[in-house]
Amino acid sequence: MAQPLVKKDDDRDDEADYSPFLGIEKGAVLQEARVFNDPQLDARRCSQVITKLLYLLNQGETFTKAEATGVFFAVTKLFQSRDIGLRRMVYLMIKEISPSADEVIIVTSSLMKDMNSRTDMYRANAIRVLCRITDGTLLTQIERYLKQAIVDKNPVVASAALVSGIHLLQTNPEIVKRWSNEVQEAVQSKAALVQFHALGLLHQIRQNDRLAVSKLVTSLTKGAVRSPLAQCLLIRYTSQVIRESGVNNQTGDRPFYDYLENCLRHKAEMVIFEAARAITELTNVTTRELTPAITVLQLFLSSSKPVLRFAAVRTLNKVAMTHPMAVTNCNIDMESLISDQNRSIATLAITTLLKTGNESSVDRLMKQITNFMSDIADEFKIVVVEAIRSLCLKFPLKFRSLMNFLSNILREEGGFEYKKAIVDSIVILIRDIPDAKEGGLLHLCEFIEDCEFTYLSTQILHFLGNEGPKTSDPSKYIRYIYNRVILENATVRASAVSTLAKFGAMVDSLKPRIFVLLRRCLFDNDDEVRDRATLYLNTLGDGSVAETDKEVKEFLFGPLDIPLTNMETSLKNYIQDPLEEPFDINSVPKEVKSQPLAEKKATGKKPTGLGAPPAAPTSAADAYEKLLSSIPEFAAFGKLFKSSAPVELTEAETEYAVNVVKHIFDSHVVFQYNCTNTIPEQLLENVTVIVDASEAEEFSEVGTKPLRSLPYDTPAQTFVAFEKPEGVPAAGKFSNVLRFTVKEVDTSTGEPEDDGVEDEYQLEDFEVVAADYILKVGVSNFKNAWESMVPETERVDEYGLGPRESLAEAVNAVINLLGMQPCEGTEVVQSNSRSHTCLLSGVYIGNVKVLVRLSFGIDGAKEVAMKLAVRSEDVIVSDAIHEIVASG
Amino acid sequence: MLLAVLIANSEGNILVERFNGVPAEERLHWRTFLVKLGADNLKGVKNEELLVANHKSVYIVYTVLGDVSIFVVGKDEYDELALSEAIFVITTALKDVCGKAPTERLFLDKYGKICLCLDEIVWKGLLENTDKDRIKRLVRLKPPTEF
Repeated sequence: MAQPLVKKDDDRDDEADYSPFLGIEKGAVLQEARVFNDPQLDARRCSQVITKLLYLLNQGETFTKAEATGVFFAVTKLFQSRDIGLRRMVYLMIKEISPSADEVIIVTSSLMKDMNSRTDMYRANAIRVLCRITDGTLLTQIERYLKQAIVDKNPVVASAALVSGIHLLQTNPEIVKRWSNEVQEAVQSKAALVQFHALGLLHQIRQNDRLAVSKLVTSLTKGAVRSPLAQCLLIRYTSQVIRESGVNNQTGDRPFYDYLENCLRHKAEMVIFEAARAITELTNVTTRELTPAITVLQLFLSSSKPVLRFAAVRTLNKVAMTHPMAVTNCNIDMESLISDQNRSIATLAITTLLKTGNESSVDRLMKQITNFMSDIADEFKIVVVEAIRSLCLKFPLKFRSLMNFLSNILREEGGFEYKKAIVDSIVILIRDIPDAKEGGLLHLCEFIEDCEFTYLSTQILHFLGNEGPKTSDPSKYIRYIYNRVILENATVRASAVSTLAKFGAMVDSLKPRIFVLLRRCLFDNDDEVRDRATLYLNTLGDGSVAETDKEVKEFLFGPLDIPLTNMETSLKNYIQDPLEEPFDINSVPKEVKSQPLAEKKATGKKPTGLGAPPAAPTSAADAYEKLLSSIPEFAAFGKLFKSSAPVELTEAETEYAVNVVKHIFDSHVVFQYNCTNTIPEQLLENVTVIVDASEAEEFSEVGTKPLRSLPYDTPAQTFVAFEKPEGVPAAGKFSNVLRFTVKEVDTSTGEPEDDGVEDEYQLEDFEVVAADYILKVGVSNFKNAWESMVPETERVDEYGLGPRESLAEAVNAVINLLGMQPCEGTEVVQSNSRSHTCLLSGVYIGNVKVLVRLSFGIDGAKEVAMKLAVRSEDVIVSDAIHEIVASG
Repeated sequence: MLLAVLIANSEGNILVERFNGVPAEERLHWRTFLVKLGADNLKGVKNEELLVANHKSVYIVYTVLGDVSIFVVGKDEYDELALSEAIFVITTALKDVCGKAPTERLFLDKYGKICLCLDEIVWKGLLENTDKDRIKRLVRLKPPTEF
């Protein structure tokens, strides 16, 4: 028995010894490459050396310039050999070594000779090598041969020239574009691959000529396309033509749809998928058009091949974002994919189901997901958590089971990003669904009892400090917070002290007990913890820091009215040059310095759950509020009611990019113009916007805040403020001109010239509309909220909306007109339905809650009628909503 | 664009890597990512059974053939289906060159031929030849039979 075992081992040793690359070393191989210079070439030996060089290159080894040049010159000697195998290796080697422009000349003549060789295969390979190493000047010399090669009878030669053309089009487009006649001829080739390559190149040459692409598609969709690969290309080009031509209004037919549908019955899976994807991506695709595509995709969901299952579920996932109802038929097949071995497929299936599922299927789905979560990686888990968050916002009544799910997975193992995604989701749910608040806060409390991430603990403590005191029984959170003071590191302890102080400030009944706890913190071994405890005890207690209750709350909860960067600079200066007197926070400038572009983009992002640390703004709204309150001219306008999304006032890629954010106050509006100078040679100074409000009669200008300097690529803001009647949703149109002094900048030194020239730049107009005066604020249970409003405030009327493209379009138009928050997923209209009810909620200027119930109906002639019922806390607001709709 | 073709042995050592349009500084990241992907998922997978993954907007199709694992990475028009076509061509060519599903030694023995085959199949990120018989002839500089 022992004998064969020993023999096997011996075999293995032999095998290892035999490996041709064992102990391979670059220096030695370069030495070996000297055989290329032998007068009597040994073709076999040379091929072996080239193989070794290729092995080194394929392992990621790099050659120095000198080494590469040496190898290249030696390899060119091998053109003398007539050995065919060696010649093939030489072609590959030259491509891999990529000689520099000044060296190329050495091989050009040999390659040109091969290009005119009678041996077809020499021609094909020489073309590929030449195109790889050539530059523009050489290309004009060989262009004639390339054009001939494109229509060569030998398909390999033709393909070599065509694929070279595709690559060369990137670097020398004007030359390659001259070949379009030859390429056109090659498209008709009987060789499948030649047709595929020719089609790809011809489309690239003509991609900006709509008519030519349309003709190409028209002729090829009728004729025979020879390979599945070419068929896929044709489908892509066809969908481009469809996108650009739109639907035939008379017949309602879409051009080329029949072709796409026929492709769904093609024998190659690749073509079927391409056609199905093309159909699902059609603009305003109808259910009738979508159904055959969904049906074939559904069949692939149960394919034995993972690639096909993945492709099918990936496509359906995309469809679910826009047409969730169309995918519901596939739900059963997709549920079986949750246990798919391939985690990418399982995750896509889950996230699709979460988008298409209805309220009744949520619980079943959650059960299935729970089993699945334990065996997927964190990156997939994050996707699932985000999908659950959106599902919960869509079906707020289901918050209990979804919140439980989130809290369960929060207790399990996981990395920081995953845990952060869960915590962010819980925080968003607490903010958006009032009923979920108390339960959610307790889940967070339990999490910080055993949380290994300091960042998350401090964020949760901050959030708890803001939200906890407003709950029905704030005392139950104190234990969790004080535990942090006992058990955690100094950073978390300091956060916990601040949180305790907030409870003390807000809840009088807890104040004495909070004092006891804070006093214990005075003996902490960390400076910051002790300092905070002392500060808060003084603030809340004896009135030495803050005199009134309002001041205390302002101190604890109010924003730091100073930009952090300014504070940092001032402190640094203070430390560098210490003065006798203590640092005075009032000496820090409040003016916001222009931010670099990257930072600017970051603040524009959708606010995430916890946002930034305590001192920084937690959302775009907070950031705007801080920004405006730091400007003395606007400080007296009161509380900011709403800030609009930025409205672009310039086309993309113009000299100056300007957008405007409309800030609405009770009796004022402030327009914040965000300006970017995109010309490196210019510095703009004293930038203002001259606003013509002649078409906005109720507004009168009360002040502007010019921008002192606007350097290149550093966005900054200028403001214009208007007064308007208090609490009234005044509307109007504003025309704008950017006025500034422009100075030339020497780009080498960055120094501007001393003298500048005054100039103006016309911006687009924009409007203040009714929707600017309504905040999007959702309710968790619309029915309860509706019934809790006084029925007498209800105003009902009916409106004809005229002919519309679809019911969904009409619903969207009204939602946008009112600028209110759609509730319970009612903004989604089933694609074939004839009637629809949409529920909206919001807060009207003056902090008046308002709810809207819209009932739509559409008839055969696509005429849409709408019944609008409004209830609000003030009957005047109910009437105002009707006025907005009537005038919109 | 077909961004990468990578062939590794069963221990995750790279045998061939060919990148197209991937910046040099990202290559190491891709190599590590792919090798880990293979280590996590390819155990017990049958020869030529295709696995699929996506990383942001990039698709990866990979499989095992004898002692080697093969990965192809693509984006845009080279989605999972086009990649499975490409990997099918590569596996067929490998079997053809080696005469069977290769052991690591056999693969290294035929290294030069394999490089030539890959050169015929993928050229600077575009799929060029797809038929194994044609590839077999082209690497010997013989014109295709149908011509």
